[in-house]
Amino acid sequence: MWFRNVFLKTLRDYRIAIIGWGVGMGLVIVSPMASVAALISTPAQHAALASIAAQFAWNADPVKADTVGGYATFKIGVFAFIACIWPLLAASRMLRGEEDRGSLDVLLSAPRTRLSIALQKVAAMWSALLVIGLISGVIAYLGGRAFKGDFTLADGLMWGLDLALICMIFGGVALLISQFTHERGPAAGATGALLVVFIVVDMVHRVIPGTDWFSRLSPIYYYNLSKPLITSYGTSAGGMLAMLAMAMVLTGAALWLFVRRDVGDAVKVPWLDRMAHPAAPSRSLPVSDWSLRSVYMRSLGMIAVPTFWWTLGFAAFAAWMIVAVRQLADKMNALLAGAQGSPAIAVLKNIGGGSSTELNGLLLGAMFELMPVLLMAFAVTQVNRWSADEDEGRLEIVLSTPQSRAAVLLGRFAALATATVIVGVVTLATAAVAAAIGGVALDGGNLAAATLGMIPLGLLIAAIGYLAAGWLRTAADTGLLSFLLAAWFFISFIGPDLKWPDATLRLSPFYYYGTPLLHGMELANLAVVLGVGAVALTLGSLRFARKDIGV
Amino acid sequence: MTAIIEVEKLTKSYGRRRGIADVSFQVGEGEVFGFLGPNGAGKTTTIRVLMALIRADSGSAKITGLDCWDRSVDIKRSVGSVPGEPSLDGNLTGGQILEYFANLRGGVDQKYLNQLVERLDLDTGRKFRQYSTGNKRKVVLIQAFMHKPRVLILDEPTSGLDPLNQQEFDGMVREAREEGRTVFLSSHVLSEVEKTCTRVGIIREGRLVKIGGVHDLKDIKRYEITILFAQPVPVEAFAQLEGVTDVETLNDGRAVRLAMQGSADAVIKAAAHYPVISLTSYEPSLEDVFLRYYESDGRPAKEVAANVV
Repeated sequence: MWFRNVFLKTLRDYRIAIIGWGVGMGLVIVSPMASVAALISTPAQHAALASIAAQFAWNADPVKADTVGGYATFKIGVFAFIACIWPLLAASRMLRGEEDRGSLDVLLSAPRTRLSIALQKVAAMWSALLVIGLISGVIAYLGGRAFKGDFTLADGLMWGLDLALICMIFGGVALLISQFTHERGPAAGATGALLVVFIVVDMVHRVIPGTDWFSRLSPIYYYNLSKPLITSYGTSAGGMLAMLAMAMVLTGAALWLFVRRDVGDAVKVPWLDRMAHPAAPSRSLPVSDWSLRSVYMRSLGMIAVPTFWWTLGFAAFAAWMIVAVRQLADKMNALLAGAQGSPAIAVLKNIGGGSSTELNGLLLGAMFELMPVLLMAFAVTQVNRWSADEDEGRLEIVLSTPQSRAAVLLGRFAALATATVIVGVVTLATAAVAAAIGGVALDGGNLAAATLGMIPLGLLIAAIGYLAAGWLRTAADTGLLSFLLAAWFFISFIGPDLKWPDATLRLSPFYYYGTPLLHGMELANLAVVLGVGAVALTLGSLRFARKDIGV
Repeated sequence: MTAIIEVEKLTKSYGRRRGIADVSFQVGEGEVFGFLGPNGAGKTTTIRVLMALIRADSGSAKITGLDCWDRSVDIKRSVGSVPGEPSLDGNLTGGQILEYFANLRGGVDQKYLNQLVERLDLDTGRKFRQYSTGNKRKVVLIQAFMHKPRVLILDEPTSGLDPLNQQEFDGMVREAREEGRTVFLSSHVLSEVEKTCTRVGIIREGRLVKIGGVHDLKDIKRYEITILFAQPVPVEAFAQLEGVTDVETLNDGRAVRLAMQGSADAVIKAAAHYPVISLTSYEPSLEDVFLRYYESDGRPAKEVAANVV
């Protein structure tokens, strides 16, 4: 049955992702529901929660944050968009990835039009997203029932549909961009960067008054128009229709270009071509390129472009957060001055202390939660290239030269380590400059700890990825790392609310990262992360030195 | 002749899938050794063990007296190789790829490298992704030859090359032999091995079934000739000729299909007695040859292996 046509075959390929992401996103939305009951047991706590939520509007609209559905919607906030990672990867792989591997040539030799094949693939991805939405919506409903939420099954399903629609949009973006690239990696990377940009554009109107028009430029704005888990807020049919229209336009444009271009080639954009080929390449040898001197330099050359874009994204995000903190700090200071003795103030003082530096650290720290996750995601994308190189046979000729296997692996790791250091240092510099310009008082040492402290986390997940690549193929390795990243974030993000034991919280590297903007970095914690990373890297090198390549 | 490649009872399996079993042979220094076998016979597995990409389950493989697994880095200093399915970074130009591998080898003679590029007429300014199959193969061939290695290990090196470049490749192998270098060349094309090699080993279903001089190929080399005449011809005129092992008549007796082994001289002379419209010769695939040679005579491969010279 599953091999009857392109649609069913593609849907079959997505079966694990459907279950994994459906259940995963369901659990993500249910988890905060479990903790809300403890947070709102008295009227004073109700008020405190609603008041604090209002100060963290950058994350999500603080609507009815003292209800089960409202708190879950608010708490998940921007993190709901991790769901967009799957369609982003799947769509960039859908046509471009198959062209890369040459398998599309075979598929297109079947008596079907290009449009029919591409449409069936898109339909399979959209169907998969709807099933993911359905599964996570049902889990959200069941969670709501378990924790005394007041929303219905229909509300849960509408939340799932809202999520599926935003995923379709980013799938469409990736599919469209992949028509202009020769490989799937840049298409996925550019879409990931756009996802971050759109998240920030949507945040703007929640932090800076009068900027609603600007946030409307982001598709995420239309996702947030619906809050189906908050019964008094409901679903915006207009928002959903707008998202559907965007997804159809983006996907339609991608398919229109696909049926007109050469298979294996990209849509020709003259200025883009000039950027890619600034001068006619020379036939004479040597070409004297800096990036060809060693495995390390070559690896650095390979990741130079993605590192540049990720660094730019990190720097821009850090600068934006400083701007947002300035806006929020003013509101918060007013709150502190005018509501002495309230439970909300007690909570804040407990967490952050009283000075403006500490208050800024508290606000920025909450926003900085995302930064180490993003750096680790960057590391995962680079480890993915390592295992793909082995899977696709690109290591074989390198290993036929007199380079030891350990040297090849460590060369790659060293390049990735260099890239993460660059990201960390540039983020620190940008944040420091933005704070100085914006007049935001921050503890310099703590800011350095927060930005540079991300680096060991990036190295840790990379080392684990290199170790796992010793046994797993690319998709499984990336899947494992993504799962670990989600699980760790889950433990650190939700675990404290659920009063999980310290031993469980210690399983997540984010525990060791701590809250550096408030409390600096503890060297012992840093040593733990680096130590585990070093062990993983050593074991990964040993495994790689002994394994059969390409088997 | 000193053995530069020594393989002894080499065995490698991939779980339930067959790899190679008890493969033993030696290749002398300065020799051009052909490693023949149909697809999936175990040629690439043997080469991947020699190149330390996979580790043998048992047995030993040595190059220049060094164990291929334990001393792989030392061995690779003196080896150039072409993998069976070469894959390289599609974003690099041919020139960048060659420079990269030259650097990984500690530098090469640029003059010789440029000679190879000219000789195979490679445009080094194009990205690997944009190359045709033949041009991709040229890049991989040049990187194998460019450091003038003592041993060349080539897995189906001419696959995808046009006849002119195949000829050029033959010349490169001949020169390597004249310079005293050793070439280990795997192929499933009999005529290619016949042209370039001094000795051959034949592998089938993971076992070495024959090894010996290239002249031994005559024993197994079979081909077909189909001759179309303007009028019917007597089949007896061809059945008893030297080199003919089987005759079949076609087109109401106006054509004959001859199964051949060895020289076609007698057939050509006999055909000349009749008005010939066309003559076509067909070389069967190695798989066909094996099917007929090793199975029709009823001798199992293991038994033949005992005849290893």
